[in-house]
Amino acid sequence: MIKVENLKKSFGDNEVLKDINLSIEPQEVVVVIGPSGSGKSTLLRCINLLESITDGHILIEGTDITDKKNDINKMRQEVGMVFQHFNLFPHKTVIQNLMLAPTKVRKVSAEAARNKGIELLRKVGLEEKADAYPSSLSGGQKQRVAIARALAMEPKIMLFDEPTSALDPEVVGEVLEVMKQLAKEGMTMVVVTHEMGFAREVGDRVIFMDGGYIVEENEPKQLFESPQQERTKAFLSKVL
Amino acid sequence: MNFRFDLIAEYAPFFLQGTLLTIGLSLAGILIGTVLGLFIGLGKIVQNKLIAFPFTLYITFFRGTPLLVQIFLVHFGLVPFLFGETNAILAGIVALSLNSAAYIAEIFRAGIQSIDRGQMEAARSLGMSNVQAMRHVILPQAFKRMIPPLGNEFIVLLKDSSLLAVITAPEIMYWGRAMAGQYYKVWEPYLTAAFIYLILTISLTFVLNRLERRLKTD
Repeated sequence: MIKVENLKKSFGDNEVLKDINLSIEPQEVVVVIGPSGSGKSTLLRCINLLESITDGHILIEGTDITDKKNDINKMRQEVGMVFQHFNLFPHKTVIQNLMLAPTKVRKVSAEAARNKGIELLRKVGLEEKADAYPSSLSGGQKQRVAIARALAMEPKIMLFDEPTSALDPEVVGEVLEVMKQLAKEGMTMVVVTHEMGFAREVGDRVIFMDGGYIVEENEPKQLFESPQQERTKAFLSKVL
Repeated sequence: MNFRFDLIAEYAPFFLQGTLLTIGLSLAGILIGTVLGLFIGLGKIVQNKLIAFPFTLYITFFRGTPLLVQIFLVHFGLVPFLFGETNAILAGIVALSLNSAAYIAEIFRAGIQSIDRGQMEAARSLGMSNVQAMRHVILPQAFKRMIPPLGNEFIVLLKDSSLLAVITAPEIMYWGRAMAGQYYKVWEPYLTAAFIYLILTISLTFVLNRLERRLKTD
């Protein structure tokens, strides 16, 4: 579903991704872990072309998104993204946040978009907040709205960039619960996170990144219980 | 000192005409300047340096030279060159518009760039084009932040329109100078002019404050 080939990304002289090769199957939940500065967020942002790519290729369902001839906007419609800082549109109500892209990009009628939006809000447990503005929501609620907003475009893949890192500890659970539900429904997901419990429980595969490389990848049980690489061991000993 | 209210009364109809023209000149300058300013501001933030350059140059010139010099350039240079003869009111509108466009462009640019980068990223990640994201996500938020600095610019423009007296556009200050010349008086004409400007700027401030409060969502 996603194929990353020899991906390299530099910011000026700073090479953040050195040579990334990765393949993600449909319905797979891949969790990316690693120390800060390891390039995991950059990798995720590259998959959505929020960062330009220095070298290499990224194929989504066989389409090379690094090829300038392909329409990025079209591709992004299929790939939902959830950000650490939510990035809800503060001048729009919750339901308007969910309706904006479907009506403007997919040209869905306002009524259909609203119905779909309400249904998604129900799914994340926030139906009663439809007409509230984002500023009146808690962090956990904001992130659940952000997930619903991404889902409103009916993406085939969902990317999560540290979705719980900006949250108060007591609301992390409600966001992870929504993500778990999504995984259970068969959504293809790539999740950058520091939540090792989530990685172990929900992930089909865990990728450990350090220094711009994928150091090790394996099923969660193997990776957490018997890591092969020294760097993985050192990292896990600190966070577990 | 013998303050001659009767002279002010005599000149009142002229000051009234002048006030109407000042309001007209300022409104025209604000409207044209805002439209021009939006384009110039958007032009300046284009990634491509080559496209952005002329807009940067425009802003540098009009912010870096005195308005009075620009008024002379337009009145004695640009307008005669384009139309064969000059016209003080037309030259006044052109000069005020070109000048305020440079300041308004910077207000637009600052407003747009003050919006968190995540807003653009979120919009783009939902599949919106750059133009759609600007129109539905960035500009509506930026406009709200631009109202206070735009209000300041409008007030500055209103006051600066008094410079047009020197090219004989018959606005408030023009009639003040005429009255001063006719009666060799200083306080009566210029205090009257100052008073009218003060009424205008206070009214404008009041309107802008109300607008700002109404546009607040939370």
